[in-house]
Amino acid sequence: MARILTIEDDAVTAREIAAELQAAGNEVDCVGDGRAGFERALAGGYDAITLDRMLPGMDGLELVSELRRAGVDTPVLMISALSDVDARVRGLRAGGDDYLTKPFAPEEMAARIEVLLRRGAGVRETTLRVGDLELDLIARTARRGGTALDLLPLEFRLLEYLMRHAGQVLTRTMIFEAVWGYHFDPGTNVIDVHIGRLRRKVDGNGFASLIHTVRGCGYAMRAP
Amino acid sequence: MNAGAASPRQDELSGRWRSSTKRLLLVYGAFFVAWTVVLIGAIRWQTANYLDGIVDSILEQRLRYLSSVDRAHLPALLAATTQLDLRGLMASGLFDAQGRYLAGDIDHLPSGLAIDGRVHPLPDGVQRISGERAGRMHAVALRLEDGSVMLLARDYRVVDQVGAIIRSGLLWALSLTLVPGLLGGYLLSRGPLRRVRAIETAIQPVMRGDLGARLPVSERRDELDMLAAIVNRMLEQIERLLGEVKGVSDSIAHDLRTPLTRLRTQLHRVQQLGGDGDPRNDLVERCIVEADALLDRFRALLRISELEDIGRRAGFGVVDVGETVRRVHELYAPLAEEKDIAFALEADSLPPLRADGHLLFEAIGNLVDNAIKFAPRGGRVVLRAATEGGRVAIEVSDDGLGIPPEEREAVLRRFYRSAASGAAEAAGHGLGLPLVAAIARLHGYAFSIGDNPPRGTRMRLSC
Repeated sequence: MARILTIEDDAVTAREIAAELQAAGNEVDCVGDGRAGFERALAGGYDAITLDRMLPGMDGLELVSELRRAGVDTPVLMISALSDVDARVRGLRAGGDDYLTKPFAPEEMAARIEVLLRRGAGVRETTLRVGDLELDLIARTARRGGTALDLLPLEFRLLEYLMRHAGQVLTRTMIFEAVWGYHFDPGTNVIDVHIGRLRRKVDGNGFASLIHTVRGCGYAMRAP
Repeated sequence: MNAGAASPRQDELSGRWRSSTKRLLLVYGAFFVAWTVVLIGAIRWQTANYLDGIVDSILEQRLRYLSSVDRAHLPALLAATTQLDLRGLMASGLFDAQGRYLAGDIDHLPSGLAIDGRVHPLPDGVQRISGERAGRMHAVALRLEDGSVMLLARDYRVVDQVGAIIRSGLLWALSLTLVPGLLGGYLLSRGPLRRVRAIETAIQPVMRGDLGARLPVSERRDELDMLAAIVNRMLEQIERLLGEVKGVSDSIAHDLRTPLTRLRTQLHRVQQLGGDGDPRNDLVERCIVEADALLDRFRALLRISELEDIGRRAGFGVVDVGETVRRVHELYAPLAEEKDIAFALEADSLPPLRADGHLLFEAIGNLVDNAIKFAPRGGRVVLRAATEGGRVAIEVSDDGLGIPPEEREAVLRRFYRSAASGAAEAAGHGLGLPLVAAIARLHGYAFSIGDNPPRGTRMRLSC
């Protein structure tokens, strides 16, 4: 169970965030004012923070950069009505770890918080393992149950991302942002098609499926 | 941005005007010359007539006077006349009844001259005793009472010379008026033409869709300025109205997004509550897909507005176009493969481009996504990037139904979908091309839609 601080001045949005995070088994504290939020965050003890960008008392950008200056490195998910790429860059540069545009689907927000919470675990490994799937990050090879998988560079990157976040729900937007590095809607079902191809290579040949579809949300890699 | 051949080219327009002014000048000049020639003719004809009359009456008067004097004095008088005539215009002769020479400076009667006391023209002139032969002359001959014949002739050269003087005078006048006239006309016509061209240049941004531009109004406050001011007032009004419409549609999109997102969230909760195997899950899933489609549409709409409003340069940097098109190809290749579409990439080595890398990727991605949607199953889509005349051109072509020329401007507007393409029913929100157009405008690129012979569409970004 993780402790999460939600700094959000809109009561309805705050309730939504809290409900979704609590449903995922987290403990959530809500603060509606920038200054008070900064003090709570500074006091520490939180595993992650959701931060509205526009706040009374203290602006979200200022808040996060002050936090970083004070040496607090709690992961911060910035939430903003500004969808512009510039706004995103400014938010991340100020010290935010991820950026989400309003209005958002709560499960997207929860998935992003989940990724932030697990961040740092197993980063330095050179081999990723999920069930009998093995990914050698040095040799850039993939094996499933001893059989080598023939992957294109892009498929390798996609698989690496899924495996790094094994057990977590990853939305299509998150996958697109992380693997391709762009922040827009690629349209139609481009990501689904890529996942489908990867799935045929990884889960085909009678193996138990590792890449699961999460209804109305995205994908998750799980050991059987 | 423009839609290919749909809008008239600027230089064609001014070219036509230029030639029309020139033609006007030429027609005027030709008319002026013709009129002057008629004038010269008329004046010359009148003058010649008048001088003819004078010459003839001088001859007649002289004849009457000489015929009235005493016959004995006549030779002396004739000699005196010749002497007094310093310019040598007059000539005279006296002959006996048989035509033999008696006195004067003409020693023979010209043949063919009637001896009737009337003035007749002598086109060949008369040979004088001195040997001098004048050109054209008028002459009169009269039989005197004693049977002798008196001949008087006058050189006609003077009249011809006067005509020549008049002609050359008028020709001088013609050239002296024609040259400054044509020159002045040309210069005068250039002034307004230059201003019309300035107006044309100023209105280009408006034709490309930037309604913020205005026509130049000079200090002169003349007719052109009045016209420019009227057009400016009209543009202001159009800009205001369009701004209002856009504002309303944006705020509707914006306001609807929040409740729609909540609706989607509730649907998602319902789905989670149902658990696996609940038959109602599919129904809920379909609702979620619909809600997502709506949200996508609103997102794209607001994104276009955002791009139109910001006009930002912050994200601009040096972009490797070749790498960008390769990555677009990589992203969309599987999608094409699903539809059995051959998706080819043709990229030369390209110079780096100053652009917003994310937006450029998004624009090319949208073009490819669009082409894959409209290409038939088993069709062909080509993504091509090349340098043409120092500019980078990015082209995406498909072999689908194509877009009729009259619809090419319209598909760049929000929510427009080609009436001809029934296949478009399933194909997204109709905001892909307007988004590309907005990104092109932001970068100052030309975005055009053309044919891809033998069939299909070719979309082109000229960077």
